[in-house]
Amino acid sequence: MTTLKEMVASAMTVELGAKEPWPDNVNLYQTYEAGQILLPDSASCLSVKAFLEMCGLKYSVVLRNNAEHMSPSGKVPFIQIGPFLISEFEPIIGFVNTKVHGFHLSANLDDTERAEMRAYMALVDNILVNAEHYISWCDATVLQTVTKPRYGSPYPWPLNKLVPLKKWYEETSRLKALGWSQKTLSEVCEEVQTCCQALSERLDKNNFFFGNRPTELDALVFGHLFTILTTPMPVNKLAEIVKNFDNLVHFCARIEQQYFSATEAS
Amino acid sequence: MADMDLEVWKGDWDLPSVDTNCLTVLFIKVHHMLYTSIMHVCCRHDSINIQMQVGRNSRMLYTCTLYIPRGLKYVQFIDNPEAYCKFSGVSIDIKATNNPRKSPTGCLPVLRHNGSAYTKVTDIFSYLRRKNWGIDFELNSKQSADILAFTSLLETKLLPAILHLWWGNSQVFIDITRPWYGSAVGFPQSLYVPNRMHKAATDRVETECYPHLEMTPQEKENLIYKEAQECITLLSKRLGNKPFFFGKTPSSLDAIVFGYLAPMLKAPLPVNPLSKHLGTCYNLCQLCSRILSKYFPLSREELEEKRKREEAEKARAQELGDFPHRTRNIVLAVLFALSSMVAFTFFTGMLALEIVDADGGGDNMSEPKGQGKRKS
Repeated sequence: MTTLKEMVASAMTVELGAKEPWPDNVNLYQTYEAGQILLPDSASCLSVKAFLEMCGLKYSVVLRNNAEHMSPSGKVPFIQIGPFLISEFEPIIGFVNTKVHGFHLSANLDDTERAEMRAYMALVDNILVNAEHYISWCDATVLQTVTKPRYGSPYPWPLNKLVPLKKWYEETSRLKALGWSQKTLSEVCEEVQTCCQALSERLDKNNFFFGNRPTELDALVFGHLFTILTTPMPVNKLAEIVKNFDNLVHFCARIEQQYFSATEAS
Repeated sequence: MADMDLEVWKGDWDLPSVDTNCLTVLFIKVHHMLYTSIMHVCCRHDSINIQMQVGRNSRMLYTCTLYIPRGLKYVQFIDNPEAYCKFSGVSIDIKATNNPRKSPTGCLPVLRHNGSAYTKVTDIFSYLRRKNWGIDFELNSKQSADILAFTSLLETKLLPAILHLWWGNSQVFIDITRPWYGSAVGFPQSLYVPNRMHKAATDRVETECYPHLEMTPQEKENLIYKEAQECITLLSKRLGNKPFFFGKTPSSLDAIVFGYLAPMLKAPLPVNPLSKHLGTCYNLCQLCSRILSKYFPLSREELEEKRKREEAEKARAQELGDFPHRTRNIVLAVLFALSSMVAFTFFTGMLALEIVDADGGGDNMSEPKGQGKRKS
C-alpha cells in the first residue's frame, strides 16, 4: 500500500489515466453511528453514501471506533478502493469522476451549470459544515452533554476526558481562524437561514438541483440537511430552521426513499 | 443626521484601496454614487441641503440649498428627516485611516453609523441595503442565491490562495506586504500590526490543509493554488461573454470578484503563481479593468502624480543605466593617466631613481643619477 501522503496527493491531483472498473470489495470506513459519531462526521458520511448510491456503486460500510485516525486526512469517512485510501467528499468525487469508468454524475451539465454546482457545494461547505462544527464544539450544552461523552466513548477513564479536550482545542482554533468562534448562536442561525434560503430558491419545485438527474450537489445537500433534521440534539435550532423550508424537507424525504429505503430492506 | 464613516486601507498601484474587502465596499459606494448622484440630503425647517458628488475625488462636491416657503403641503414630509433619509440615503465619508486598532475586530473596513460599527462585508452590505444603499435591487431571489453561493466559492477556494500569496510567500511578504502595511500604519504600530495580520492570514491558510498530514510547504502551496485556479476557471466560465455576472449592470458579485482580483493584477508582485492562469481568463481581467476605468478613474492630480512617478523611475533607471559606463570611463581615464605618467618617467630618466631604490643602497642619491645619465 502506498503511503498516506501519496494517496491524498493522488486523490487531490487525479491524473487522467486509464479508467478502471469499480472493484467489488470497496469499503467505506466510519465511526460507530450509535454512540460515537458526531453531527458533522455523520453528515459527511451520509453525503458520501448518497453519492455512491446515486452512482449505483457497491460498497460495504466498515465501522471502526478509530476510523478518524485511520483516515489519511484525519476525517471520516474514507473509502478503500484497491490500493487507494481516499477520504472526504470532494476527493472521493474527484476519484470516481475521473478514474472509474462510466460514472460521472455531472457529465451532462454545461460549463455555467457546473460552475454554479461547484459554487453551491462551496456554500454548503462554508456555512452548513461550519455551523455543524460550531454547534458541536462551541455550544456549551451540546459540548458537555453530547460531543465530549460521544467523542471520548471508545477510551478508558483518563483518556476519555483528555482526547475530547485535545480535539476541542483543534476544532476551536480552526473555527477561530475561519472567523466562526466569535459568532453567537443567533448569528450562526442567521447564516444557516440564509444558506437554506439560497438552497431552497435554487431547488424551487424541481426534483433535483440541476435537471432531472441527481448531481454531486444533491448528495451533499441531502447528507447535511437529512442529518441535521434527524439527529436529536439538546439544542435543536438548526433543525428548526431547516424545517421551515418545505421543499428542502421534501427533497430529503424523496432522496431517502429513492436511494436508501431499498438498501435497508435488502 | 449623521453621515456614515467608512474606514479603509489607503490605495496604491492605481487602486482606490489595496485590501480586498475595502475595494468591494468602495465599489458599492461608488456604484451608488454614479447611479444616484445625490449624496447628502440635509433637511432643515426652511430648506433642503443637497450634496452631490461626482467621481472619487472629494473636491468635486457640489452643494445646493433649496429654500422652501413655509406652509407648503410637503412640509410634513420634510419635517420627518428619518423618512427622507431612508428615501434618499445618507452620504458615506471615506477615511483612509490605515488604523485597524480602532476597529472592533482589528480589521478594516469599518462602517460606522450612529454609534454602531460593522466590519464584515456581508454585514456592511445588509446595513447599506437597509439604508437603501446597495446594488442588488434588480436581481431576483434565485440570482441572489447564486451570489451567495459564488461568494462562498471565492471564500473557500480563492481566499486561501490570495492570503498565501500576500502573507505566506516569504518573498512577497518581505518585499511588498510588510513594508507596505508597515508604512501605512505608522511607526509604533508597524512593529506589531503586520505581524498580527501575518499570523491571522497563515492560520486561515492552514485550515485549508490537512493538519494531520505532514505535507511539505511546497505540497500545501500546490494544493492551495490548484484549488484557486479551479475557482478562477469556474468564475470565468460563469461570466462568459457578459459584461457583468448578471447581465448589463453590476451586482455585488462583481464587486467581490473585483476586490479579490484587482490587487493581484495591479500590484507589482515579484512572484505570482496565479498570474499566468489569470491571464488565460481574459474576460475576468477585462471585468477588473472595466470596473477600474469606469468606477475608479484616476483624477487629474493622481494622473499627474503617476506621470511624475513614472518619470522619476525612468530617470532613475537611466541614471542606473549610465552608471556602469561612467565608472568604466573613469577607470580607463585613470589607467591611461597612470600609464602615460609611468611612460613619461621612464623616458625622462627618472626611472633610474626607482631601480636604485629597489637596490636599497645607503648613498643612492648620487649614484642612480649617474647611471641614468650614462645609459642615455
